[in-house]
Amino acid sequence: MWMLSALPGRGPAHLQRPLLGPASHLGILRPAMTAHSFALPVIIFTTFWGLIGIAGPWFVPKGPNRGVIITMLVATAVCCYLFWLIAILAQLNPLFGPQLKNETIWYVRFLWE
Amino acid sequence: MAWPCVLLPVKQARSGAAIHPRASAGPLPGGQEQEGVSSPGLSAPLRTRPRGHSLGSASPRLPGLRWRLGPGAGRPWPLPVAPPARKGVSGAGPRAGGNAALSAARRARSGAASSGAAARSPPGTMGSMFRSEEVALVQLFLPTAAAYTCVSRLGELGLVEFRDLNASVSAFQRRFVVDVRRCEELEKTFTFLQEEVRRAGLVLPPPEGRLPAPPPRDLLRIQEETERLAQELRDVRGNQQALRAQLHQLQLHAAVLGQGHGPQLAAAHTDGTSERMPLLQAPGGPHQDLRVNFVAGAVEPHKAPALERLLWRACRGFLIASFRELEQPLEHPVTGEPAMWMTFLISYWGEQIGQKIRKITDCFHCHVFPFLEQEEARRGALRQLQQQSQELQEVLGETERFLSQVLGRVLQLLPPGQVQVHKMKAVYLALNQCSVSTTHKCLIAEAWCSVRDLPALQEALRDSSTEEGVSAVAHRIPCRDMPPTLIRTNRFTASFQGIVDAYGVGRYQEVNPAPYTIITFPFLFAVMFGDVGHGLLMFLFALAMVLAENQPAVKAAQNEIWQTFFRGRYLLLLMGLFSIYTGFIYNECFSRATSIFPSGWSVAAMANQSGWSDAFLAQHAMLTLDPNVTGVFLGPYPFGIDPVWSLAANHLSFLNSFKMKMSVILGVVHMAFGVVLGIFNHVHFGQRHRLLLETLPELTFLLGLFGYLVFLVIYKWLCVSAASAASAPSILIHFINMFLFSHSPTNRPLYPRQEVVQATLVVLALAMVPILLLGTPLYLLRRHRPHLRRRPAGRQEEDKAGLLDLPDASVNGWSSDEEKAGGLDDEEEAELVPSEVLMHQAIHTIEFCLGCVSNTASYLRLWALSLAHAQLSEVLWAMVMSIGLGLGREVGVAAVVLVPIFAAFAVMTVAILLVMEGLSAFLHALRLHWVEFQNKFYSGTGYKLSPFTFAATDD
Repeated sequence: MWMLSALPGRGPAHLQRPLLGPASHLGILRPAMTAHSFALPVIIFTTFWGLIGIAGPWFVPKGPNRGVIITMLVATAVCCYLFWLIAILAQLNPLFGPQLKNETIWYVRFLWE
Repeated sequence: MAWPCVLLPVKQARSGAAIHPRASAGPLPGGQEQEGVSSPGLSAPLRTRPRGHSLGSASPRLPGLRWRLGPGAGRPWPLPVAPPARKGVSGAGPRAGGNAALSAARRARSGAASSGAAARSPPGTMGSMFRSEEVALVQLFLPTAAAYTCVSRLGELGLVEFRDLNASVSAFQRRFVVDVRRCEELEKTFTFLQEEVRRAGLVLPPPEGRLPAPPPRDLLRIQEETERLAQELRDVRGNQQALRAQLHQLQLHAAVLGQGHGPQLAAAHTDGTSERMPLLQAPGGPHQDLRVNFVAGAVEPHKAPALERLLWRACRGFLIASFRELEQPLEHPVTGEPAMWMTFLISYWGEQIGQKIRKITDCFHCHVFPFLEQEEARRGALRQLQQQSQELQEVLGETERFLSQVLGRVLQLLPPGQVQVHKMKAVYLALNQCSVSTTHKCLIAEAWCSVRDLPALQEALRDSSTEEGVSAVAHRIPCRDMPPTLIRTNRFTASFQGIVDAYGVGRYQEVNPAPYTIITFPFLFAVMFGDVGHGLLMFLFALAMVLAENQPAVKAAQNEIWQTFFRGRYLLLLMGLFSIYTGFIYNECFSRATSIFPSGWSVAAMANQSGWSDAFLAQHAMLTLDPNVTGVFLGPYPFGIDPVWSLAANHLSFLNSFKMKMSVILGVVHMAFGVVLGIFNHVHFGQRHRLLLETLPELTFLLGLFGYLVFLVIYKWLCVSAASAASAPSILIHFINMFLFSHSPTNRPLYPRQEVVQATLVVLALAMVPILLLGTPLYLLRRHRPHLRRRPAGRQEEDKAGLLDLPDASVNGWSSDEEKAGGLDDEEEAELVPSEVLMHQAIHTIEFCLGCVSNTASYLRLWALSLAHAQLSEVLWAMVMSIGLGLGREVGVAAVVLVPIFAAFAVMTVAILLVMEGLSAFLHALRLHWVEFQNKFYSGTGYKLSPFTFAATDD
């Protein structure tokens, strides 16, 4: 959540997609084009990996391997969360956009919109 | 505790058994030790007390020693006093818990217990996986009557590793050498029997059930039985051989007679005479004896031409020889293989030539048979021969029946006998390592045993010795060697422990990297191997192995490559799983992207805003989406890399930047984790000064420089947006300028007062170098100085005492053990050589500081390999599959074309991308763990506890 304040103009209100007509007549089921919020995935994934890494160890059954299993859970959570975090942070503020071929643009315009 | 790395050169510490020149002279602790052992067995537990006491009393004078012993009061090494041992010997407590502990130990040993079995580790210790278990040196007093049964029981349990107390005694002078030799002779006989069984084409059944080592009195019985059987077998074999040879001879004779040389030879003979007679006749007169004589026999085919030539030359043609091959091969009497023979019939004139011929045929080892001239007589002889050979065959059949009976008995006796005698020999070899007490009533053994297994050990000793009406006891003794490393693994953790052990077995009680490796290894592998499809294939392969692991066919497979894969099945399983995850993050499945969520980039918005009409599109082949245009960039893709990049022409420049930064971040985190793990070592070994003098400077250095780099990367991701893309600062230039204390005007600072912060960090990091370099040596010198000053006076007394105490009745092998324990002696006396300590620390400092730079760079292999993998799989797709998919428009054509193309794609995916790329990613992950991660905290200079066990024999 704290990220949002650092990111002017990324609130959902600003991200209304301008309407573009031509795809509707193709009859392709178009996915609802919503703006990607940054906060939502952060909350979801932090909770998810937090559950695994912090809450998970409490549910490991007692036994000789409890320590190893807990270590595995925590390490998995840390590695996976870190990796996901790096990927999303790297795309947070793109400095340049993708360069697309005109065929691709034409195609994507109809398929993805 | 501290000595291997601080007080001693590592090499010396590692060998542990370095021969110590002072051992025989016996400085105080050594002398005490000898006295303690020379006393008869049962009083020894009490005798250990003065030893502990002497160590305790010595400590105030040796501050260095106290410092090592002080915090280790609860730890076994060096073991301070004996009380826990005495409790073990006499206390009723462990006895009560003995059974449960024994069964727990068995369960743990069976290896299958991955969960469920209650942990029986003593309270207060960490899980056995995190550091090696507490191992104690145990002295076993084995009454002579029960020694054999005790050791045999220990072999079944596999609890202890015996130390050789007779290292200086040659193998021939040891106590049980006669028994060992008897076992060896028996084994020789077994080998003979086994060979006979193999020759008979039979297969030995595996031994059934549990076969304990037989009691010693049974050895005679087994030996007698085996010898009788072997003798019988030899006799029968000999008979069989003789009969076969005889039969062979008869058959050859019959073949020679029945070969039908007769008429032809006769013809040749008449022709020969008529033609040659005039030539051969000497002018002096005709030969008196013109009777034609015959020599008939058989020769091996490869000798036949040579024989023929030699006969011709030697006899100058005064003979006629006819060679003929047998119609069917005969059995070789010894090997039983079919062998061809050439029969020959030689006719000649003259007695001298006849002698020559006989000699030559003898030389060629021909079988020569009497050859009757008359046809009738020959036929009669032939009939007789056939009759004889028939009778002989019957006798031979009987013999073979008897032989198979004997072999049947061998088959029954051999498998259990082999196992039993093997165990027996192992027991005697172990007993040979024990020393004999002065009263000869008792054998004294020393063994390493896990503290957890001590109750089980007591139990086993009591069980096996009460039958004989005596009692064997075990008790802990203080130990001055570095104990062996014991880390119990199960089938899951074994392969990860294997990765660590391949680098080096951990020092005793050192932090074990294996539990962390379980996750970080597959993770780093997957960073380089990120692809959902490839990960899934690997996962499924590993899953199949895991599910089939209990099937006997899978277990029994002998193929070495298969076994390698099979042993690492859980490793592969995790590697596959993590590859699937990283594949999702990289958004690659066989190099194709999936769009689980709608892309964060809106092409339509761009087209709308910039007015990209169809005509405009047709003119411009390549167009770039601009994140500054409102509505084009809608926010970061929530999970992984945006699929739009897989369509983009410049996706490589995006991935490059992303993966490079990712590698640096992962690397710095991984290395910092390694340094932090060192804290556990310092705390455990009671070297808290190293926390302050080593770990803290190291962390500051690493995080101050490279942690700051990570901060710069993340800061730039968060705060530099597309609007200022043109003037975006370069992190690389900033980082270089940081070390040069300069700034470049073109490179905008990331945040205000950046230069001050950077300069502070660099100065801080550089200030850590002298602390790291001089901190520990100065600290040690300061602690050691008082001890050094006092040393000379006390030392001479100690030496004297040592000499006086040297007991004349000292145990045979004790001196050798002293030598073995010399490593610790060294430590106690180790004059702290300042130059050596300084050198050691200097090397460590240089290694760490330069290592930080090179290791961070080394993590860039994550970037390189993941890019290479992605590119390779993309090339494969573009070159094979996408061409195939574009070939046929009609359904039929496409179907026909796609089959071979998909086959090629599948084969190359498996061979190149899975196997080759997998191996290289594996190798690089291995390197990152061994070099970059483990050298931050792991010395790996220990040795494994290899218990005395029959497990290999039982298999």
